[in-house]
Amino acid sequence: MIGAIVAQLIGLFVDDEFLATAILAAVAVAGALALSAAAPAWVAGLLLTLALPAALAASVVRSAWRASRETTGG
Amino acid sequence: MTNLTTIVSVAGASFAASFVEAVEALTIVLAVGLARGWRPALTGAAAALAALALIVAALGPLLGAIPIRALQFIVGVLLLMFGLRWLRKAILRTIGVIALHDEDAAFQRETRELTAAERRQARGLDWIAGVTAFKAVLLEGIEVVFIVIAVGAARGLLGLASVGALAACVLVAVIGAAIHRPLARVPENALKFAVGVMLSAFGLFWTGESLGVDWPGGDAAILAFAALFLGVAAVLVVLLKPQLAEHA
Repeated sequence: MIGAIVAQLIGLFVDDEFLATAILAAVAVAGALALSAAAPAWVAGLLLTLALPAALAASVVRSAWRASRETTGG
Repeated sequence: MTNLTTIVSVAGASFAASFVEAVEALTIVLAVGLARGWRPALTGAAAALAALALIVAALGPLLGAIPIRALQFIVGVLLLMFGLRWLRKAILRTIGVIALHDEDAAFQRETRELTAAERRQARGLDWIAGVTAFKAVLLEGIEVVFIVIAVGAARGLLGLASVGALAACVLVAVIGAAIHRPLARVPENALKFAVGVMLSAFGLFWTGESLGVDWPGGDAAILAFAALFLGVAAVLVVLLKPQLAEHA
């Protein structure tokens, strides 16, 4: 039962590996920019603001495309 | 200083998210209670609430020891993963890629499984039923605790977030006790859509703030981010739904 609970807890945050990886990558790049002072902090903010909705959109489109292919048998 | 936008956002997000989780827990507890009796259902649920109280008592003081920037970063990233996951699922349900969550179906499935277990095993039935209720309340409860911490801790509004969550749980429990049926008419996907938008907005705000971003408008930026995520989700639904309907 503990294994099942742990698996479900991880599942709270990771459902689609693509989306989870994209979120972490966006945060990592924004974090690196902000902490290394390679760019002003607002650049990190802008990056997050653009990358996260884009990651969501890409994940949804991928799932919809996969579902559409399965439906048409392609 | 905490403004009205933050207060309403924190309490509202905590209430709505906890309401959804409480409805899901109630469905399982009702299935256990009606299929196998209220004793194991309520014992399992009470044991889970006690376990949750222990978790909160053990982890609660640790929150105060974490520097605020680190807390905002951890909570922000977890909120992004949690909120965007909810939003993605809500969009996929709206456009018909995955089935809508149906509390009636979940209730029937749980009842069927418990009845099948009854046929296989005459002894230990109360134990199985109790563990089923325990697991459901514990898992959904952990989600509620996470949501309360996530939306409340980074601004020192844990009390407010807790009140929102507690109000939702009490409301669901009272309705469940009154009608003895799953709350199938709750517009669960619409709630998850709204909560996904809010949690993602909080996640973006706090992750940026933890990295030193000075968001224009202060806390009001949370509403702008919510509008951004809502807009993107709406565009996805409008664009993808007709295409999928064509292929269906």
